[in-house]
Amino acid sequence: MTGWLRRQRALADYTLAALARRRVKNAGLLLIYALVVFIVASATLFSSAIRKEAEIVLAEAPELIIQDLVMGRHAMISGELVEELVGIRGVSGVKGRLWGYFYDRVNGANYTLMVPLDETLVPARGEAIFGEALPRTRGLNWDKAPLFLSRFPGDLFRLNPAGRLESDSALVSADLILIGEEDFRSFFELPEGVYTDIAVSIRNSREIGTIVEKAGRLLPHARLITRDEISRTYQKLFSWREGIMVVLAGACVLAFAVFAAEKASGLSAEETREIGILKAIGWDTGDVIAMKLWEGGLISIGAFLLGTVLAYLHVFAFDAALFASVLKGWSVIYPDFALTPMIDGLQLSALFFLTVLPYTAATIVPIWRAATADPDQVMR
Amino acid sequence: MISLQSVSKLYNEGRPSETTALSGIDLEIARDALTVFKGPSGSGKTTLLSIIACMARPTSGRIYVDGRMTSGLPESFLAKERRRTFGFVFQRFNLIRGLTVMENVLLPTAPLGGNPQADIDRAAARLDTLGLGPKANVAVEHLSGGEAQRAAIARALINDPPVLIADEPTANLDTELALRFLDIVAGLRAEGRAVIMTSHDARIWGSELVDKVVSMRDGRLDEGTS
Repeated sequence: MTGWLRRQRALADYTLAALARRRVKNAGLLLIYALVVFIVASATLFSSAIRKEAEIVLAEAPELIIQDLVMGRHAMISGELVEELVGIRGVSGVKGRLWGYFYDRVNGANYTLMVPLDETLVPARGEAIFGEALPRTRGLNWDKAPLFLSRFPGDLFRLNPAGRLESDSALVSADLILIGEEDFRSFFELPEGVYTDIAVSIRNSREIGTIVEKAGRLLPHARLITRDEISRTYQKLFSWREGIMVVLAGACVLAFAVFAAEKASGLSAEETREIGILKAIGWDTGDVIAMKLWEGGLISIGAFLLGTVLAYLHVFAFDAALFASVLKGWSVIYPDFALTPMIDGLQLSALFFLTVLPYTAATIVPIWRAATADPDQVMR
Repeated sequence: MISLQSVSKLYNEGRPSETTALSGIDLEIARDALTVFKGPSGSGKTTLLSIIACMARPTSGRIYVDGRMTSGLPESFLAKERRRTFGFVFQRFNLIRGLTVMENVLLPTAPLGGNPQADIDRAAARLDTLGLGPKANVAVEHLSGGEAQRAAIARALINDPPVLIADEPTANLDTELALRFLDIVAGLRAEGRAVIMTSHDARIWGSELVDKVVSMRDGRLDEGTS
């Protein structure tokens, strides 16, 4: 072992002994620090994972959605436009989509009813495939239990279960009810020949811009939404929720900042005297600062690791149980699905630099002031 | 040999509270002698010890240790000088509370990066010599005054410095312990170390062991001392 390593080991040994001397204070500090990291790391880990989840799910969505607008509001679109859009070079498929919302007075939730584009998924007349949250929130414990929807007092629309959607896609399908076209038109009293919007599949994704331009010329009043734009909307939505969480964590961060500032403003008489003693018995400024770096490092890196590991377990093993209601954001229906564990290195690095470095700097400044003075002056 | 030439020390220089702690001190201290500074409180004894031990800088004047000028050296060099040349026993011992006797004694070895086991063996041997072996793993706040002083001496000697400096070492001790301290000093002299101390205590500066008594008053040496 080189002299430098032995010196570091000796300084670390002393630091551990010094930390153990004030174990209650240091354990309290470590826990508060870890809690701050835990809250912020939970928000960032959850949001990163959920954004990634949305990206994966939306990868299978149509490249382009076309919606008609009347007075700036979404209106039904004519099925005749399907034929016109098929004629655009580069378009591989055009289908009218039928979807709408239904407010369920029974549990106060909003459902999305939709006719699937994939014909193999279209249920038979009177049947439906439910998103995972529906039977859960309506208490349909029996697999074959029918779902009754009431559009107005005295009305009951019966849908027999034909299956359930996998929880892997629950982020966007938790509240979904897939039904056949006839049932859909009947339920919403919708005439033939109109659709909610039109889904356009594009052969080459690099041509999306050109096709959007051509479709825009063909349908000057329509709203054209690409898959990337939907994805970006989801990203922004979850970033916004993450922001709320970080603001909520702000109180903790602020309390911690006050503590760090208090540390920066000066050392206790005991700490100052101790530095004087160490210098008097032969430690130099570098030794004292190295020792305090070990101390700050052990606390801040320890708290960072503890907070991050707990946040990882919280988000990926316990489905972010503490913050799910804020981060997932549904009013009544919360999607129930396990997030794929993933870590955004950049976010984690940012968290590290925003928590560990300020604390270390805050503790080192007063130490440096004391450590550069003569021992006699420090002890006086 | 330690040599002081026209050493002065002002505290709070340039402020209304400016105090002259030392004024024009010229002094030669032999390497293998027991030198005692005596004088009333506030006469500058402790300040003089601090300056000799490189723990404080003189406002003016020069200090030489074995021909090396230590006054005016940057802090990193002063730390090396403190580590290499001096062991310091403080009046209140200044052991670090919460650590054991052994951990306190080992503190000066930490920056040297030596062999940890060799350091521990050396510390244990020194504690045995001073009769503190059985207390090695006891926290220092549980020591008696005499034991704390011996722990402080063991800490001061762990890096084998040629000069031991002690500030009022018997101020907090009864007669028996004060005499025992003198025995320890005799042993250190026999090892060839110089010992420099301050004392109010006539038992110390009246002892036959003492080679030189330096009388101080108001930051100056009394007539006839040099």
